[in-house]
Amino acid sequence: MIDIREAIATILESYPDAIIVSTCGYISRDLLAAGDRAANFYLVGSMGMAAPIGLGLAIAHPERRIVVLDGDGSFAMNLGALPSLAQRAPDLIHVVLDNGAHESTGGQETVQVVDVPGLARASGYPYAVSVSHRDELAASLPQQAGLALIHIRCRARDYAIGARLALTPPELVTRFRSALAAREAA
Amino acid sequence: MTIVGTSVRSTVARTIADRLSAAGVRHATGVPCSLLASLFAYLESDESRLDYVVASREDTAVGIASGLTVAGKPTVVLMQNSGLGYCLNVLTSFTLIYSVHLPLIVSWRGHDDNDAVEHDVIGRELLALLDVFGIGWVLFDSSNAESSMSEFLERYDNGGATVALIVREGLSH
Repeated sequence: MIDIREAIATILESYPDAIIVSTCGYISRDLLAAGDRAANFYLVGSMGMAAPIGLGLAIAHPERRIVVLDGDGSFAMNLGALPSLAQRAPDLIHVVLDNGAHESTGGQETVQVVDVPGLARASGYPYAVSVSHRDELAASLPQQAGLALIHIRCRARDYAIGARLALTPPELVTRFRSALAAREAA
Repeated sequence: MTIVGTSVRSTVARTIADRLSAAGVRHATGVPCSLLASLFAYLESDESRLDYVVASREDTAVGIASGLTVAGKPTVVLMQNSGLGYCLNVLTSFTLIYSVHLPLIVSWRGHDDNDAVEHDVIGRELLALLDVFGIGWVLFDSSNAESSMSEFLERYDNGGATVALIVREGLSH
């Protein structure tokens, strides 16, 4: 079992230039606590929409790597999005941080998808793996472009959750668009 | 279905798609409705200048369109009014609060209280539902497609507002 903060840190080290879309609740706050970046796109609501929004960003910017940070609850909420991602197969790493609980709302149990990588592969993802140890995680993160799902078995949080984003949602969009434009101009 | 080598018959569908394209819309996504069949046929054809992204549910389509729009690629979402129900969360907790506005094309099954029973409630309340959430709407008039599109695009204001084009009849002619 991996600490969620360690999982996010490993992903950030592996993909330092990626656009990252994070699902609502504690995962967005964990990503913010790992260090705010203008290429981070935090959702404050719309559970289940991180992957579709990531797909839209990926279609618009095929030259960029996109990372989607889902929880097991938000992933299960929108399994129907998987074939849409697979059909386009963009350069997108779909991460499922699976601690078996809706921790943002008090730790209620989540419905369990028994074989997350198997479901992703059945939906058309060319690469999907499940990992439980940090060393395993770093080795499982692909460097070549393409669609991949990384299912990470995580421990329940035993740390104080970080702050909420101070920016308003429209301010976040403005900052994110500026970061996209600056990268394109570079 | 991809229509190759044949002209899509509906000039109304072509007008809608081409006016969206001329206004800067680059992609389309959504879930089909029989009333919008000719528009989907056009989007799936080689003639369309809009890239069509297939989605399984209407809120997922709004999510995909939102990502594209954030990245500077305006995207239209097509759906039956039944699918609007699925979209209320993503519309209220993403598009409207992030000010990432989308043009929506929503068919109106049950508008005349003379449709299949599953459309009765949403058909009766569709416009009221849009009004509750402050989403503007324009009733599409097939016999004046150009002027309907002008009004719709004016209300959309290049991404300044989320607005729904309401289609009550099949776009077959």
